[in-house]
Amino acid sequence: MNKVLLIIRREYLSRVKKKSFIIMTFLTPLLIAGIYGLIGYFTYKGIKDTHDKIAVVSTNKTLTEKLVTDKNIEYEYVNQSLEEVKKSLKKSDFDYVLYLPEFSLAEPKGVELFGEKQAGLSLNNRISGDIEELIRNQKLKESGIAQADLDQLKTSVDIETKKIADTGKEESSSAGASTIIAFIAGILMFMFIMLYGIQVMRGVIEEKTSRIIEVMISSVKPFQLMMGKIIGIALVGLTQFILWIVLTLTISTVALSVFVDKADVKKIATSAQGGTQISTGTTVVQAPQGPMVDIQKSLAGLDFGKIVSVFIFFFIGGYLFYSALYAAIGSAVDSETETQQFMMPVMMPLLLGYALSLSVVTNDPYGNVAFWLSMIPFTSPIAMVVRLPYGVPGWELALSMAILVVGFIGTVWVASRIYRVGILMYGKKTTFKEMFKWFTYKN
Amino acid sequence: MLSVKNIVKQYATHRALDQVSLEVESGKIFGLLGPNGAGKTSLIRIITQITAPDSGEVLFNGERLNANHISQIGYLPEERGLYKKMEIGEQVLYLSKLKGLSTAEATKRIKFWFEKLEMGSWWNKKVEDLSKGMQQKVQFVATILHQPELIILDEPFSGFDPVNADIIKNEILELNRQGATFIFSTHRMESVEELCDHIALIDRSKKILDGSVDEIKGTYRNNTYWIEYEGDYNTESAKDIFDVLQTENIKGKTLLKIQLQKDKTANEVLATLLPYVAIHRLDEVIPTMNDIFIDKVKRQDYE
Repeated sequence: MNKVLLIIRREYLSRVKKKSFIIMTFLTPLLIAGIYGLIGYFTYKGIKDTHDKIAVVSTNKTLTEKLVTDKNIEYEYVNQSLEEVKKSLKKSDFDYVLYLPEFSLAEPKGVELFGEKQAGLSLNNRISGDIEELIRNQKLKESGIAQADLDQLKTSVDIETKKIADTGKEESSSAGASTIIAFIAGILMFMFIMLYGIQVMRGVIEEKTSRIIEVMISSVKPFQLMMGKIIGIALVGLTQFILWIVLTLTISTVALSVFVDKADVKKIATSAQGGTQISTGTTVVQAPQGPMVDIQKSLAGLDFGKIVSVFIFFFIGGYLFYSALYAAIGSAVDSETETQQFMMPVMMPLLLGYALSLSVVTNDPYGNVAFWLSMIPFTSPIAMVVRLPYGVPGWELALSMAILVVGFIGTVWVASRIYRVGILMYGKKTTFKEMFKWFTYKN
Repeated sequence: MLSVKNIVKQYATHRALDQVSLEVESGKIFGLLGPNGAGKTSLIRIITQITAPDSGEVLFNGERLNANHISQIGYLPEERGLYKKMEIGEQVLYLSKLKGLSTAEATKRIKFWFEKLEMGSWWNKKVEDLSKGMQQKVQFVATILHQPELIILDEPFSGFDPVNADIIKNEILELNRQGATFIFSTHRMESVEELCDHIALIDRSKKILDGSVDEIKGTYRNNTYWIEYEGDYNTESAKDIFDVLQTENIKGKTLLKIQLQKDKTANEVLATLLPYVAIHRLDEVIPTMNDIFIDKVKRQDYE
């Protein structure tokens, strides 16, 4: 046991002391904070700057309601023909020309939008939405509803999604926030398992090519050496993960309090709401209620303690599961270039789990595919952390964890039997058949 | 101190060791010889507990080999290496702690040996900055640092320059005087001949020769001599004393390789020749271990 500790210590320290580790660990949170800041900045700036002025040319007699200017789109009805406006568009301060031809309310057709630049999808949607609302209002009025009643009808509904937890307590949740967390967790899990699994493989190959392996295993059992390496590198991964979380939080907090004053943060939140009120820029009247605030609110509603601890469990489990296989691969080859044929079958389930988790599972976190992906140990580490923010029944979580534990004990056992023979084999091209033979060797 | 008894090791298609038995006496230097692929490394891997035999057993000081013996054996494999990116001092410290030494004791001994072998300034160097010969010295120190009773060296002198080989040879002899038992494994007999007390020859997974160096050489002596003289002598007249195997004439001198007839001695040869010629030298032809080795292995081929 003492020897395993010595090996863990060496594997850990030799990696943590490396320049590349230190740079990666400290640079990544800075990058993340930087990207986060940039996104925030551009969101704010982008929303503020989106202001299109549109000339409306209407030959429509049926539609008597007029398009109303809001904070992003300014409509101005002009009394010119379409051709004239189109010709003078370059010189005028209009960005687009909207043409409303005569149509029946039942079948609104022929609406056109002209501009110097192609109108974006969001502008397109917004204008068509405005026109649809116009038509609906007019239809309602024709059926005898007074303007006053119509104004009263206009309410903005903001759905607050709540999930009833096992305890009966209501938790705020938001599909948006859950999806963001699920994506981040899934990508992180995939990255960690791959990067650190491959580090185990490299470590084994390094011992083989530098020929220290025989000196080592005259002192320790191959199993001890393999486990020492796997655990040592796992600790490196955990160190990096924890440092990333701590550093990212610290940097974001510090950056937020230094570079951005409180009023600005509020402004970003309000202007991001996409509501109907024009923000004057200096005074904010409305209480912040936009989707951004929504996400912030439900982020606070997620149980981060649980997510992080389950993440760590599945990272360790999934990492042990895969790194044992990587160790076996490393033991079977003489150099990294020979690893390709063995990497494929190990990479495939991981990649598949990653791809399916981020598509199928995020769309339907309670479906059959999600369930099975989060049970099979080849994919469960990724699938489970992706499902987690949406809420997973306790028994499923427990079952998945148990299967993963059995799974990694299995792969470690299989890998150690291949490893103990493989590390002493040189100069031969190893095949799967040969690896199976090694597996069946007695001591 | 080490008894190897009827060891059999079978790999999938070939038998690496077939009923091999050996006795290594305490305080001796034992040579384990054989051509490449004969099974030497397989046997050493069993003694160092890297693998286990299919049948047979190994006794260490009368006890069946077990995990406690790992700290009493030092092993320098033929394929030896070090962690390239690790500092020398730290590396030797790590290897000796794995053998059970405490940090303090290991540090003390490393300093002692580094001083002794003129490696004092190497502590913080990385392996990749050392020459191959320097690396070998480090590996040697790592092998013997935990003061094992049994030290196994696989091809000990390959890779050493003559000066360092000599330094290492002297250290081996000194450790041997202090009581350490050695096993040398090699296919280059001449490199260890002068050091070994006892040898065993393994060829194609079987032991084919075993005995003390003197004994073996004794049995391979066949009363053959080189004799060199100046003058004329008709060797036909000495036919009942020796046969001439080979004749060479160099600058007026004659060099003969002769084999004595049964019950004759070198003295009688001299007595016969002395009246006629001026004798320059007379040497007994003693086969080197290398000759015996080649002869034995070839004979196996022939059979």
